[in-house]
Amino acid sequence: MLDELLQRFQRRDRNALARLLSLVAHGERVDDILHGIGAPAKPARVVALTGGGGVGKSTLAGKLVEQARLHGLTVCVLACDPQSPLTGGALLGDRFRMPARPDDDGVFIRSLAAAGGRGAVAERLGPLIYLCESFGFDVVLVETVGAGQGDTAVHALVDVLVLLLQPETGDDLQWEKAGLLEVADVVVVHKADMPGAERVEAQVLATLALSAGAAAPVLRVSARTGAGVEALWSAIAARPLRRGRSDATRSAEKNR
Amino acid sequence: MTEPPPIRIVLAKVGLDGHDRGIKVVARALRDAGMHVIYAGLWQTPEAVVRAVADEDADWLGLSILSGAHMTLAPRVLELLREAKLDHVGVLIGGIIPDADAPKLLALGVAHVFGPGTPLPDIVAFLRLPRRPDHA
Repeated sequence: MLDELLQRFQRRDRNALARLLSLVAHGERVDDILHGIGAPAKPARVVALTGGGGVGKSTLAGKLVEQARLHGLTVCVLACDPQSPLTGGALLGDRFRMPARPDDDGVFIRSLAAAGGRGAVAERLGPLIYLCESFGFDVVLVETVGAGQGDTAVHALVDVLVLLLQPETGDDLQWEKAGLLEVADVVVVHKADMPGAERVEAQVLATLALSAGAAAPVLRVSARTGAGVEALWSAIAARPLRRGRSDATRSAEKNR
Repeated sequence: MTEPPPIRIVLAKVGLDGHDRGIKVVARALRDAGMHVIYAGLWQTPEAVVRAVADEDADWLGLSILSGAHMTLAPRVLELLREAKLDHVGVLIGGIIPDADAPKLLALGVAHVFGPGTPLPDIVAFLRLPRRPDHA
């Protein structure tokens, strides 16, 4: 049964990808699947959007999907939402905010439930990303659960970590705290059409100026008006692919 | 062996009616019953709903229709599910469905019609009934 699924995956059958994502998400036959799908033909650009609940991650993800398609790139979204610690249930509402043309095979959107205590991403996110990469998507866009200051685990799994902030988020001491701001590759002051965006931008810039190494770019963006979305895409595309490669990927790259 | 995977269900409203209170109550009840509910929301086309079911690898699709267009929209969704090789997905319909239409929808392949006043535990219990062997 798994062999047939893997064959369909090789033929780029989306339903097979969807089914394999379910199996891996649930922890079934993960090793068999990862060996069976083969290494990606090319590395994908893996981008994560993180930030607090309600900061606009899903809406902005929808805009980035549009940007990817405008640039002729295919994109797979893995959207994490929280899972109940009491019942295991989850209400996965991210895709509602990412309108995509249903006849566009260049876009695949998958919702994932994330248990608490795992750094705001679904369990086995690494293998899930690898599946999407092997399927051939140019861009894999991960959306975390609404994340707190310490939820930095996603950093190790992606090439570009985009942190979303919004106006009226604390005083300037807020930005001196250790955590997400330290590992972000791009910082977005989202909802920039609202008052206070410039102040947050100035505070974050001041904080980042004190950090060792190259500071992450800080961009004012509004998914509502579309302002800054193209600049954000350019900033994401300009980042090097820094993700640690798995052995399988590395050997595939050697063989090319 | 690990415990069985949670039931995955896409809930959506197709067509142009804007009444989403009922479907949100159902979404919450299924969430609290331990299911993974993918809420696709208002104003969806049949094509978009079927694409969501495919990408999300859903076991069920719940449609809420209060516009009276169920005899147009439901057959279209069922047809698209078959075309997408998603025959194994069970389809539930809720909303305002006249008694005379419910048997017609069932004959078309809808698994169940849940009208107003349905106790939430009834929907949960229906979704937990054993089904034919899992696909793929």
